[in-house]
Formats: sequence, C-alpha cells, structure tokens
Amino acid sequence: MHPERWLDILRLRFRSLFRRGAVEQDLERELRFHLDQETEANEDIGLTSTDARLAALRRLGGVAQIQEECRDMRRTTVVENFLQDIRYAIRTLRKSPGFALVTVLTLALSIGANSAIFSVIDGVLLRPLPYPHADRIVRIFFRSREFPKFPFNPWDLRDIRDRNRTFDALAGITRNDRQLSGIGRPERLASFAVTAGYFRVLGVSPRFGREFTREDELPGRGKQVILSDRIWRSRFAADPSIVGRSILLDSEPFTVVGVMPPVPHPGNYYHSIADGDTVDAWTPFTYDPKNPGRGSHYMEAFARLREGAGLAQGQADMDSQLAQFDRERPGSMKGWQAVVVSLYQETVGPSRRLLLVLLGAVGLVLLIACANAANLLLARASARQREIAVRGALGASRGRLVRQMLAESLLIALAGGTLGAAIASIGVETLTALLPVDFPRAAAIGLNPAVFAFTLVISLFTGFLFGLAPALQATRSDLQQALREGGRGSGTGARQLRLRNILVVAELALACVLLTGAGLMLRSFVNLLRTDPGFRPERVLTAAVSLPNAKYRDPKDGLRFYERLSHDVGALPGVRTAGLGSDLPWTGYDENISGFTIEGKQPPPGHQFRARYHLADEGYFRALGVPLLRGRFFTEHDDMTAKGAVIIINRTMADSYWPGEDAIGRRLTFDDHPKESDWMTVVGVVGDIKDAPERASAEPALWWPLRQMPIYPSEMCIVARAQADPAAVADEVRTAVAALDPQLAVANVRLMDDVASRLYSIPRFALFLIGLFAALAATLAAIGIYGVISYSVSRRTREFGLRVALGANPGDVIRQVMAQGLKLACAGIVLGTIGALALGRVLSSLLYQVSAADSATFTVVAIMAFAAAAFACYIPAHRATAADPMTALRAE
Amino acid sequence: MSKPSDLLQGTLDLLILRTLSLEPMHGWAIARRIQQASKDVLQVTQGALYPALHRLEQQGWLRAEWKPSDTGREAKFYALTRAGRAQLEKELAQWERLSSAVGWVIAMAEE
Repeated sequence: MHPERWLDILRLRFRSLFRRGAVEQDLERELRFHLDQETEANEDIGLTSTDARLAALRRLGGVAQIQEECRDMRRTTVVENFLQDIRYAIRTLRKSPGFALVTVLTLALSIGANSAIFSVIDGVLLRPLPYPHADRIVRIFFRSREFPKFPFNPWDLRDIRDRNRTFDALAGITRNDRQLSGIGRPERLASFAVTAGYFRVLGVSPRFGREFTREDELPGRGKQVILSDRIWRSRFAADPSIVGRSILLDSEPFTVVGVMPPVPHPGNYYHSIADGDTVDAWTPFTYDPKNPGRGSHYMEAFARLREGAGLAQGQADMDSQLAQFDRERPGSMKGWQAVVVSLYQETVGPSRRLLLVLLGAVGLVLLIACANAANLLLARASARQREIAVRGALGASRGRLVRQMLAESLLIALAGGTLGAAIASIGVETLTALLPVDFPRAAAIGLNPAVFAFTLVISLFTGFLFGLAPALQATRSDLQQALREGGRGSGTGARQLRLRNILVVAELALACVLLTGAGLMLRSFVNLLRTDPGFRPERVLTAAVSLPNAKYRDPKDGLRFYERLSHDVGALPGVRTAGLGSDLPWTGYDENISGFTIEGKQPPPGHQFRARYHLADEGYFRALGVPLLRGRFFTEHDDMTAKGAVIIINRTMADSYWPGEDAIGRRLTFDDHPKESDWMTVVGVVGDIKDAPERASAEPALWWPLRQMPIYPSEMCIVARAQADPAAVADEVRTAVAALDPQLAVANVRLMDDVASRLYSIPRFALFLIGLFAALAATLAAIGIYGVISYSVSRRTREFGLRVALGANPGDVIRQVMAQGLKLACAGIVLGTIGALALGRVLSSLLYQVSAADSATFTVVAIMAFAAAAFACYIPAHRATAADPMTALRAE
Repeated sequence: MSKPSDLLQGTLDLLILRTLSLEPMHGWAIARRIQQASKDVLQVTQGALYPALHRLEQQGWLRAEWKPSDTGREAKFYALTRAGRAQLEKELAQWERLSSAVGWVIAMAEE
C-alpha cells in the first residue's frame, strides 16, 4: 500500500547493519542535544548550571540503557549478535584445535556418508522416471499361483488394447534382436518387436519419421524399422534423410520409418535389457492370422493410464477384460488374474528396501556422530564452566549464552558439512562404481542441488541436535557454585555425568545395532559365495551367434552350421572344450515352460508336469562345468537318425517327478496323443543351476539335443572353456565364426566370471557399505566411551593421586575405573542387542540363509563391542594409576 | 528493559504521531509539547521517548532528518510519513473506540 514505507524500512535496516558507527553517533548526538536543551530549560527557571545538568540527567534516565533500547528497536540485533557469536565461536574453537578437528572430522565423515547415500536415494527413488507424466506408465502382467508375473500372449494383448477403457495407449514388446549387415562390420542390434503405440506409452515421439501403426502389424507389412539415436549416429552418420532408406537386417531389406531421440529403455524381464539402457532398433510386431493361438505368452505389456485414471481403475478394467475372456473361452482364465503395477514400482521396487536400509544405517551413524559431538561439547563446557559463569555474572542472559554455544556447534556442523560435501562427491563416485551397471536407475545417481540442500539441512540439524543439550546443560548451573568451584570443575558433576553416560550408552547401543547388521550381512554374503553355483564359471568365455532365416533357409544348413561351429571352437588352440546351448545360466531366463505327460504317472490334481526347456549339444555341459549325476551327456549320435528322442533333465526335475526312483530310461512326451516316436527318453541327470545364486531352489528343467531339432534355433550361445586366459580366446572365437560365415555378428561376448560377479555385486555393495558404516559407528562409540572415562579420570586425579600415595594397589584403581566404563558398555550392548533383534525383520529379506536373530553373530558382536569398550577404558584407567600424588595435589 | 510507567506504550505512540502531525519536531520538543498540551497531566518519561521514536522510525511511520533548530544547533527532527499519517488515523479511531468503551463501562458501573 505504501511502497515508500517499505523502502524506508529497508534503507534503515541496511543503515543499522552496515553503517553501525554512524547510527550510534547519531543516537549519541541526539541524546546530547536533548540533555543540553533540558539543562538550558532548567537554567532558565533558575537552577545553577550543575544542578540543571543533574536534573536533566535524572529526568532522562540511564543513557546507556536508552541506547541499548534504541538498538533493540533497530531489529537488527539478532543478526548482529549472531555475527558476534560466530566470531566468538571461531575464536574459542581456534583455541582448542584438537577438539575442533576431531568433531569436525567425525561429523564430516558421517554427513558425507549421509549425503552420498542420499544422492543414491534421490537418483533412484525420489526422481521421477525419465518419461513425460511417468507416473501414468504401468506394467501389466498375468498372475497365477505359480507365476507371479507372467507375460501376455499377443492376441489377448490386442483384444485388451481394443477393449480397455482406462488406457491412453497399451503396447507389448518382445525381444527380437536383429543383425545389421551390408554396411561395414556386421553388428547385432539389441532390438524389440513392438506393437503399435509403444512409444506413445512412453510418451516419446520420433525425432524423424513416425512410429508404427496398426497397419504395420499386418503380415507382410512388418519389414520396417525405427532406429535408435545411437545407431543412427554411429552407423548412419546421423543422416537426416535416412527415413525411407532400406537397410539389411537379418539379411533382409527393412525400410527405416523413424529415428528416435535417446530413449531410456523402461526395462523388461525376458531376454532383458536393463532399464535406462539403450535399445538399438524396434521393428513392428506382426499378427499372423494363420497363427491365432493364445498358448504362447511372450509379450511384455506396457500401458499409459488415461489422465485421471489411477492404478485401481486400471486394475478394475483389466479384471473385467479377463472376465470377458473367460466368458468367450470358458475356462481359459481359470487360475489367472491380471496385475497392474506402476512402472516406477516395477523398476525401483526391488531395490527400495536395500536403499532404505542403507539410509537407516547411515542415519544411525549420523546420530552416533551427534552423540559423540554432544559428548565432546559437554566435556568442553564443563572445562569452560567458570568462563560461562563469569559471563553470566556480567549480565549475559541464559538465552544469549545458549545462543552463543549453539553458534559454536552450528559452526562445527557447517564446517563438517562442507567437508562432508567433499567427501560425498568422492563417495558418490565410489558408490556408483560399486553398483552393478544394471542396478535400476544407477545412471540417474549423481550430485545435484538437491543433494547439497540435503547436506546443508542435515548439517544445521546436527548442529542443533548435538549443540542444544550441552548448551542448556552448561548454562543451567548455579552461578555462585560454579564460581566458587572455579577451575576444579567438579561442580555440575552428577547431572552432567548422567547426561554424558546416557549419550555413551546410546552411542554404543546404536553401534551394536550397526555391527550386528554388518555381521549378518557378512554371514549372508559368505553363505552366498559358498553356495555351489552348479557350474564352474572360471575360464569360460561365452558369445552368441544368430543365423538369419533369409540366408539359412534349409533347416539342415542351420544345424550343420552350428555343428561345425561347436567343433571348430572346440578345436581352437586356446580352448579346452566347447559347446552350444540355447541359453546360459544366470543371464536371465524366460518362462519357457511346457507341460508334458510322464509315462505311467498322473500329476496331482490341479497341477501339471512342467519344466523349463533348453537346447544343448554334446559339449555344452562339459564346457560349462555342469556335473553329470546319473546316465550320460548327449553324444553326436543323438541326432535325427537315432532310434528315439532323448532328453537330459536336472536334479530338481528328477526329484520332483521321480522321487525315490531312477529317472534314467523313463519317458515323457509333449503330445496329447503320442505315437511311439513322440516319446522322449531321459538319458542323463545333471546338477541344478538356480536362476540366481540367492534363489532358494532351482526350477525343473530339461534339455533337448540340438541335433534332434526339426528346425534350427535362430540363436545359440557359444560356451568355450579356455586352457588359460578366457579373454584371450575371444578373438579366436570371432575368427572361427567369420571363417564359417563372414556376414555373422558375434554378440554378447562375455566371461562367465563377470556374469557371476555381477550377480554378487548387489550383496557385495550392501555388505561393503553396512560394514563401512558399522566400522565408523564402532570407532565413534569407542571415542565416546574413551572421552567419558578419561574425563572422569581427569576429574578425580586428586583422589587417585591420594589413594596411590596412601598405598592403594594400582590394580584396584584400574579395576574401579574400568568397572565404571564397562558398566556403560554392558548397558549399551544389551540395549543394542535388543534394538538389533527388533530391527532384524527389516533385514531379513536381504539375508541369505542366515536368521536375522543369528545367535553366533549377536555373540560375536557383543564380544567385539565389549573388547573395544574395554580397550577404550583401559587407556584412561592406566593413566589414573600413573597420577603422581604431588602433581595431582598441586594441580588444584 | 524499562517500560513507560505512566503511559501505555500504544498511547505513547499515538501521542507522538498526533504531536508530529502538526509539524516536524525534535525529541525534546515532542516531550515538551505533550506535557504542555496535556496541561502537565502527562509527564512523558523521557527515557521511553527515544526508543519509541526509533521504533516508529524503523516501522516507517516517521522519517528523521538533521536540521538546524531554533537555537541554530543541529537537531534530529522527526516528521510523519504518508504511511505514518494513515497509521495515525487508524490509531485515533482505535483510541476513540477504546475510550468510549471504557466510558460505557464506567457509566454502567455508576447506574
């Protein structure tokens, strides 16, 4: 209303702050003028000049007081006092650099660790996924008792796309890698076949051209491709006129219809590509009316909810879609439900618990560091008792004293925070290096303003947290008593000591919780490493080769190629043994599951015999190091000319379907009305390989011999066990492939060791961090207990000196001091154990074959904590006995 | 901190604003004027005057300026700002309300 009023106010505030001298001078001049006027007036009514002056002074009142009140009116005293407090704090801290250094360092470590973990949380959990309105993107699955997340069959997907009422767009994708040839070196492109509208689900529009339409899904139309930004740049020199050009994929011409900007892949399960990774190309998924079967489920469904529609609406819609299917084909949906899950939940859900546990752990470290700093401040405050008392006596109010001490703790905390930010920036790099590359959203982790804001906030918060209690405590003491006791500092003893004891017990308890967590993680990790993987990953090199249908039209050609490839790789000088298989352990799996009939057996009601199926040639198991438990491996005689079809099964399958029997020689068939030739005979039982090492059990699995396949598989994995260094074999393998067909790309060249180590990297990551935090916590707690005991010893120097002088046994003194510390330690350990038991539930899902209440871990942690505490107490205890009576007495 | 003993703080503000609405004045003159105008009933505690002046200035109701006084000496003259004039109206209205309310209560007690 009165803008000039605010300008006035602003001008005055600035003046009071920055021209303080001038303002003060003004005030003095003003008051002097008043006094002179008053004196003159008094003289006018006949007073002597001295009396006139005195009367004037009396009338005005205390000049200093008026000045102070006027200063208060300036409203800037808060800032001025604060600056003064800061200056004072810097001065006092400079006087005790040791204290400042220890506190700042411990705080910096814990604040830095917190910021680093927060940056991970921020990148992975807090930031929205990198798509427009990402909260509306969902994944849809089928679900049954056995399969919590089952993919769609293409026709169901298409019906739901047409009939749904809650989705703006709904699309399915299935991995379908393509081999790019005809320009330069052949390269396998990570590709997906996608239904129309897939990019609308993601909310990304092509940079050039268009996305697929429903017409592209018609048979015979599907030879189109959308290229990724990466491929467009790396293989086509960012050619802006590429749309419409024809390129060779799998030796067939495809028309480029679009180029995408960089699109982070949303992540998928079957033949998965991790979220955030790039996909090289997309081709239209083709619906062939000649193949309308709904039995094969291999489409992963993504959808974008309509604006205003939530997960619940989407779920309800899907439920009614399935009910409709069941009406159309009675019984077809028996035991099946649909699940609608947000893409966010699907992406970060599995890592959420781990990250929150880490945040909790690092938060505990921060609490311990706060308790530690509070403890050190308390010790210092008691040494400064006299100074504080004097300042109180000179008129400083308690509030002012508290503010002053808080300024000191804030200063320490901010220094810690600054250093902590530096530590965090190193920490974040280390963290991301430790994370597996396919950790969800690992790419989004980094330092950003949010992380720095977080650092600032927790620094201020810790400053208050550890500063307030000591400040209140220190200023509560009775002035007179403090002054009387002077430097002896035994004054506020009991109460202060109690607070310090509580802090130390809390520190120890929290440290015990962390140590227990670390111990459990360690045991779990060791268990994981000890678990037999079921194969021998060392010295194994793997690669993938796929044969374009257009070139290998005759199935015999394809099979012959694979046979020769397996043979040639096995004959390479660096290779000990080699084989081919349809897939590799621990590299993802799909629900390639088929039901079958076992000769002479009925499945339990409501169940069917089923197993994952794979292909292998005669060298596969030997090259991977999978043990043969019974029977035999495949041989080159297991081909089309052999008398009967054979299979190899894993132990889980043998134990599940032939419990207590010998599975060798038993037969099963995939045919409902089998002829004699449709029966397959089990010739071997091999060891189990679980989907991932932490899985409780393996799935039933069977292998067909490659040579008995009526059609050749488009892709096979090469497994080569090297004589020595497997990496050195990679080029030999490439040469061997090129010698057979120079047009083929060799893809996914990797060491089985790397595959294995990647699976361990998340537990390793968790163990490393929790271990680090626990070590930090234990150190801080030890410093804490050391601080308290040595403080109490120093306070009792005189007493100990006297007792030693009077002939006390040094052992008794040590015992007495140690007992005092160990009592605290025991209290802390007991509380910590209770806390760890209570928190165990949080951890249990992260543990492998360890109970969250593992007694061995708890015992070891208790012993370790006790030992550390004993050591921390022994040093000051020993010092107590060394007290020279004379110095001790003189010290008073 | 001492409080003005014989004057409510809000009242002192009102008196200062009202006094300055006539003409700009320095502190001593304000105290004098209040005393005279009230026929010596209101003795402004001079110690309370200056903090009040400074507060009103900080709030933007007054603007201060060093000017030669009648005696020729430089003095700090306070003047009402436009915002201060508006504030005076507000405080006056409030005072009217308050004093008539007090009047009613007293009148009622006499009945």
